[in-house]
Amino acid sequence: MSLRPASFCLPKGPAQDAGFAGKLATMASQPLHEIGPSEPGFEASALGFTLALAAHWVGPAGIFWAGEDAAFAEEGAPYPVGLAQYGLPLDRLIVARARKREDALWAAEQALAATGSVVICALGAQGKPLDLKASRRLLLFAERYASRCLLLIPENGPSAAWTRWRVGAAESDAEPDELGVPAFRAELTRSRGGPSGASYIVDWNAHERSFAERAKQNADTSFHREALRA
Amino acid sequence: MKDTRWLAIYLPRIRTDRLLRAGRGPSDDRPLAVYSKESGAYQLQGIDARASALGLTLAMSLADARAIQPKLEAVEADPEEDARALDNIAAWCERFTPIVVLDPPEGLFLDITGCGHLFGGEEKLRAEVVTRLHAQGFNSRAAIAPTPGAAWAFARYRKQTKRSVRILRESLEASLAQPTDWQAELATLPVEALRLDPDAAALLRRLGLKSIGQIQYAPRSSFTARAGERAMQRLDQALGRAQEALIPRRPAPPVFALRRFLEPIFTADAVLHVTQDLCGDAVEKLDVRGAGVLRAELVLFGVDGRDRIIGVNVSKPLREVKPLMRLFREKLNVVGENFDAQFGFEAARLDVVRLAEFDEQTRTLVSVDAGYASAETISSVVDVLSSRLGPKRVVRPQLHDDHMPERAAAWNSAQSEYGSKFAKPPADGVQRRPVRLFSPGQQIEVMAGVPDGPPIRFRWRRVTREVVRAEGPERIAGNWRSGEITRDYYRVEDKQGRRYWLYREGLYGESETQPRWYVHGLFA
Repeated sequence: MSLRPASFCLPKGPAQDAGFAGKLATMASQPLHEIGPSEPGFEASALGFTLALAAHWVGPAGIFWAGEDAAFAEEGAPYPVGLAQYGLPLDRLIVARARKREDALWAAEQALAATGSVVICALGAQGKPLDLKASRRLLLFAERYASRCLLLIPENGPSAAWTRWRVGAAESDAEPDELGVPAFRAELTRSRGGPSGASYIVDWNAHERSFAERAKQNADTSFHREALRA
Repeated sequence: MKDTRWLAIYLPRIRTDRLLRAGRGPSDDRPLAVYSKESGAYQLQGIDARASALGLTLAMSLADARAIQPKLEAVEADPEEDARALDNIAAWCERFTPIVVLDPPEGLFLDITGCGHLFGGEEKLRAEVVTRLHAQGFNSRAAIAPTPGAAWAFARYRKQTKRSVRILRESLEASLAQPTDWQAELATLPVEALRLDPDAAALLRRLGLKSIGQIQYAPRSSFTARAGERAMQRLDQALGRAQEALIPRRPAPPVFALRRFLEPIFTADAVLHVTQDLCGDAVEKLDVRGAGVLRAELVLFGVDGRDRIIGVNVSKPLREVKPLMRLFREKLNVVGENFDAQFGFEAARLDVVRLAEFDEQTRTLVSVDAGYASAETISSVVDVLSSRLGPKRVVRPQLHDDHMPERAAAWNSAQSEYGSKFAKPPADGVQRRPVRLFSPGQQIEVMAGVPDGPPIRFRWRRVTREVVRAEGPERIAGNWRSGEITRDYYRVEDKQGRRYWLYREGLYGESETQPRWYVHGLFA
């Protein structure tokens, strides 16, 4: 029996590192990622990107969303109707709210012990920056149990995460006076074992649970869509 | 039935003991009595040892008592306080067995079936109850018998001998006891020992039937005709010929395990260790019943007489020590901080308060995809999270059929069964509802382009936001009966691409005041 879920075993190829789709494929085999807002005021975008990643990767073991109260109170409570529209499987979603940061981290660790689960660990802006030890623990749990951890944290600190994303909002790509699908401006500010600094504009297709990178110039976006579905 | 063991406790002076214990007795060595008004006259309901030694008796009129003892300190009876005192003693007795039955006004029954060995034998258990009640200021007598009725009779009417002799005699008795010994002894006791009302007992005495032995073999029909159904039933119950249904003070747990300590324990480690033993005992019993735990409570009995109860809930029936211990460990981690062990704990009991049939298959069930945690693993994670964070903090989403956004969804404990209604994301991927909802909505300052349209600019959290796109309105009518105002919802996007769910409460021109605007949620 392989410890890792099937999706971890994507074949590696040079084409995969092209664009956001390639980055996403690489990320699939990395257990810990860190996401934060590009600047204060874009917390909703950072959360949206995190939820999209979770929905994209979700397996039978489901999603655990463990957060401290501060991370839930400020930006409003998670709203199931909206979450369902966003593509999250409500029958496989469990939210755990902790009073203290230590408890939130503990809850995330416990949830990571469920093999193949996707765990969102959401921390608030208050308090000390997260120390390296805490993120390393999350990484170890995720590695040990072949689960994935998405660390949603507003501030930058030392971290054991494989990638770090700073996410803002991107304007709708729909007709004027229409709001299109969720869209993000995601900057990869850190990437272990790879180049960082790349910035992507991606749309989230909740129905397909897939990302689509927006054409910067004349790039063939359908290529990425195909690559993602494969 | 044959194997049951009952301990009856008789607290003959509970009314005065209670007062003396609370420092409400006389400060000098005057006698104390409690009285109440019975059929128009004040009558003594309770007397302390001194009053008794001075010749006062129960049911004596207060006037007579004062005539004999002018110095008598008399306090009016407070039946409610008496009942509370008895209940407190009953609660304290739960350290000996979970099945404690109140027998007001001055008695208790303890079902000690199978508990004796924990105390080094039944007689030691009995002696400990009496000694410790005495240490707390309560005079008591206690006796053990296979039926509550017989235990009651022995506690009240067995001839009192010196204790040391008694222990010797009774431990001998216990080792040599023939099953009928106690019945023979019962036969020698007076008829009052049958828990009869005074009239029935007086009648039997008038008929010359003084001892239980005399009525034991009396012709049933004629006896019943004179003394009433009740007397015969009491006799049958005492002899074990008829079952007696007693209702415990607290519902008895279907399965429990009890441990006593020679020395009080203080540390969290020691508590954990004991909990592990108790879980082991309980799991063994559950195995026999083919059941699993749904809720278990650890009761720690403090030397100071206070109990601490630590409960854990399980979402799927559980019958293994390790996962149970994981739940208790998490719970004790939190509770342990303010444990307040004080003088330590002298006993611990694990009650399986709720259990469910244990499906043998669940143990061997392997998840379909070995790369993912099984449903059982998920529910055990949920249990662990719930026991430390609290069940209300570990939740699953639930959708409701309600068009008011606030009522369209809820979060329920993840340990409960979740509902079946789940929405699919829209085919076009466009979001109509936000992922986060403010409740209540946060008020904003708005500049509306047209009176009935979306705002062109609004101010929220001290930042002005330019609206570049908007969709709406989506009109949601509130429940007019509860005074909810119709809302017009708009989805808007600001210059930086952030998206908001706004609503206007009320319509333009409907009232003198300007309609209010709120941001109700944020789209990702």
